[in-house]
Amino acid sequence: MVNVRTENITKRFGKVVAVDHVSIEVKHGELFTLLGPSGCGKTTTLRIIAGLEKPDEGRVYFDDIDVTHVPPYKRNVGMVFQNWALWPHMTVYDNVAYGLKIRKLPKDEIDRRVKEVLRLVGLEGLEKRYPHQLSGGQQQRVALARALVVEPRVLLLDEPLSNLDARLRIRMREEIKRIQKKLGITTIYVTHDQEEAMSISDRIAIMHRGKILQIGTPEYVYKNPANLFVASFIGRSSSIRGIVRHVDGVYATISIGSQNLKGKIASRYPVREGDEIVVVVKPEDVDIDGKENCVEGTIVSKHFLGFVRQIIVNVENNRISVFTEPDRDFTEGETIRICIDESKAFVFHKKELVEIGLEELV
Amino acid sequence: MKNLSRVFRAIHTSARLKSIDIFIVAQLVIPLTILLIFLLLPLGSLLYKAFTGSEGFTLNNFKELFSDPRMVASHPKLDFVDIEESYIFRIVNGTRVPVKVITINIGVHGPDFGIIFNSLFVASCVAVIDLVLGVSAAFIMARYDFPGKSVFRVVILIPMLATPFVNAYVLGKVFGRGGLINYFIHNVLGIKNVVVCIGGLPLVILVQSLSFFPIVYLNAYASLINIDPSLEEQAENLGAHGFKLARTITIPLAKPGIVAGTLVVFILSLEDLGAPIGIQGAFGEGLHNKLISFFIFDEFKKTRGAVAPTTYALAVFLLLIAIAVFLAVKKYVSLKQYAMLMKGSRFNLRIKRPKRKGLIAIYTFLIPLALSASFPQIGVIVLAFSDWAEKTLPSKFTLEGFISLFRKGEVVTAIRNSLTYAISATILIIIVGSGIAYIVSRTAIPGKDLIDAIATMPLVTPGILVGAGYIVFFSTFFSHTVLDPFFHPGTLLIFTFTVRRLPFALRAIFAGLQQTHIHLEEAALCLGATRARVYTTIVIPLIIANLIGGALLAFVYCMNEVSTSLMLSPLQSSQGTITFLMSEFITGAAVGVITITAALGVILMLLQITAITLSNRILKQRIAFLGV
Repeated sequence: MVNVRTENITKRFGKVVAVDHVSIEVKHGELFTLLGPSGCGKTTTLRIIAGLEKPDEGRVYFDDIDVTHVPPYKRNVGMVFQNWALWPHMTVYDNVAYGLKIRKLPKDEIDRRVKEVLRLVGLEGLEKRYPHQLSGGQQQRVALARALVVEPRVLLLDEPLSNLDARLRIRMREEIKRIQKKLGITTIYVTHDQEEAMSISDRIAIMHRGKILQIGTPEYVYKNPANLFVASFIGRSSSIRGIVRHVDGVYATISIGSQNLKGKIASRYPVREGDEIVVVVKPEDVDIDGKENCVEGTIVSKHFLGFVRQIIVNVENNRISVFTEPDRDFTEGETIRICIDESKAFVFHKKELVEIGLEELV
Repeated sequence: MKNLSRVFRAIHTSARLKSIDIFIVAQLVIPLTILLIFLLLPLGSLLYKAFTGSEGFTLNNFKELFSDPRMVASHPKLDFVDIEESYIFRIVNGTRVPVKVITINIGVHGPDFGIIFNSLFVASCVAVIDLVLGVSAAFIMARYDFPGKSVFRVVILIPMLATPFVNAYVLGKVFGRGGLINYFIHNVLGIKNVVVCIGGLPLVILVQSLSFFPIVYLNAYASLINIDPSLEEQAENLGAHGFKLARTITIPLAKPGIVAGTLVVFILSLEDLGAPIGIQGAFGEGLHNKLISFFIFDEFKKTRGAVAPTTYALAVFLLLIAIAVFLAVKKYVSLKQYAMLMKGSRFNLRIKRPKRKGLIAIYTFLIPLALSASFPQIGVIVLAFSDWAEKTLPSKFTLEGFISLFRKGEVVTAIRNSLTYAISATILIIIVGSGIAYIVSRTAIPGKDLIDAIATMPLVTPGILVGAGYIVFFSTFFSHTVLDPFFHPGTLLIFTFTVRRLPFALRAIFAGLQQTHIHLEEAALCLGATRARVYTTIVIPLIIANLIGGALLAFVYCMNEVSTSLMLSPLQSSQGTITFLMSEFITGAAVGVITITAALGVILMLLQITAITLSNRILKQRIAFLGV
């Protein structure tokens, strides 16, 4: 098992900077996730680590050995592609045994290891099948087995579950985590699904526009977003625009139209009286029965989601999503008071909006 | 640990030195070398010859060319039709009575604008006629369903089966002085004193239009069936229908295919030797020979390569037209899509069942088209199995022509030569073609688009120019080697076949690679396979069908290659090809050789039908190829 480190890797495709000075360090046996919206550069970063792309700048280290210019076939990394890339002209056995044959292992050793890895992923007895004779979940397991059987130093997974249906996705991610922990293999996982990333990872890195915006454990990142992008990307957050009336240490009082709200300053930029800001709140942090830090709005729409009822409240032209108990019902157009825990209302300077190009999104 | 880091450092440095690995380099260098030596340099040497005189660079050759009255007639003849009166004596009641015979000549004595403008005139007419025929046929086949459609679908493709010279000879036999038309006038209509004779440029236009219209048809058809029906439905939804819909939506969407097809027909007509030589076989020499292609061929043959400088200028003139057309085609539609491949489409096509009136219109167009399109090939078969070559009408069945194929030494030699060249060329084509296809579809090497363009260029590069270039280039730089055109034209034919038929196989292989996701290869790379290993264990097995399909097509198109065969074979006729022998036979005077030529034509047709059927089955898709 190795420690994987990238140092300022940068990759341009024409004028587009796909990966912009990305530095990450993945520790021995860690499951590390690159999380971000599509086109953020996470897959390219993974491909650079696999050696399938050469960075324009920067270095990649495996255990302090510079592998930047080592071709993919000499890196000994296991890669699982988004479409699994199973060779249609080979059986499950041949697909899995391919890497072992390349390594010129004796026949019985190959047999043993293929069998072992197929047991690990729960595919015993399917050796002679061809990929098209397998279900999506089985194909996914073959891809994983093929990557694992060569005992790679690093396992790279590029959205491995995105071609599966929702229920299978949840089962497979638990499976991947189980196998990863069992083998203790250093793993880098790429996904755009935040729930998947949260549930599976030891640590996550949030990427946007080729840059890493925050690295940390899922819980830490969730609770302490470092900037506006992370705050609005993680959770089903709503944002509220306002102007700072008063600053008191880390807290600020914001005027939203004719109403006031208190929040915690989380911005990298200094927030002063009179600044335009954005407040980000998660729906579960909004309370309709609270007493403190409340604003008034009208219910625009309501959605029964099963485990909660979501209502969208218009407060001075900001749409705020609120989770309530599923049994409580509301009328559209009804006026409602919503209250927000001031330590969970994150205040960001408006500059951050422009900086991350999210003006239209928020 | 220390060891490991040393290993990595070694890998690191070597990988840097070879930032592109050896395998890719080989895939790149072999094709490039072949294209350079066997296409670009020979064509370049024509340019050199045309632009140099005794005192270095000059334009005099071109000035001389355009002031030559053979090339540009100072007094062009414009009359299409002329009427000759002559008297023959007939015995009536025991006395010899002079009878006036009126001969109506169409095209025999005019028009004649001089060689250059004759060629441009013919090519333009053929392009326009084929544009109309091809697009109309494509529109009907793509948009209507009617009884007998599947028959028409096959019949209108019959002209794609190349029967060099013989199809033109057949039409010559129909429209000539002693041909079927006059037999009809004399014996059926009973008009004894009128002779109708169609020849010259109009006959060339007729022959070529019939041979080439499927090219426009196939390209237009492919474009039409690839139009997403919702685009037209949207227009109808907004109120467009009928002609307006076709003019504003359908035709513009199909335009790239149509334009490319028409431009290619223009070039094929310019470089064609089949029509002038075939008609010459039926009529003797005449206006139908006054064309650029025939002139260049004839000069090189007569002088064994020692042609006048103006001939090089003429060749370069033709080359420039070809390059201009190539760039135009490239601009309109990448040849990638166009050279082959009309895949079965994925949507439900808008197919209408016409009412009575519509049906009548469709049949009025399609039946005559199908009959005239298939006539030359049917004629070739009749010619091969009967004594028609010697008579006005065939009178008896015979297998003489086919039996002679195995008896006549020169025929056996020619067949053996053609097979040797075609098989060797096919092997080279697969090596070169898979290399180029791999580079183009899988790497980001700068200039790969240029390689692709060069490899596709032969589609529209006249073969006579390639042949002429070979004679100049290899006799200058490879004299007394195995590549000397005067001693080993056979070796050169292998390479010219390789280069000229490369585009066909290239597209088939390319299609295979496009259907194979690159992740399949990357997965193997990650598991430790080298590029070469990935190529042999993953890529080749996945595209094997395309390789075989491409090889089959390349093989038949090598077998019926005409223009470079005719340029190079005369230098050492014992190394000549089937098509060369056919041209010799058809213009020669020996008894029975026309029937043998037709028999060879039938064999070539059978080969083509077999190869195309097999390759379509292997590739599991309908593929439309240019029959060049």
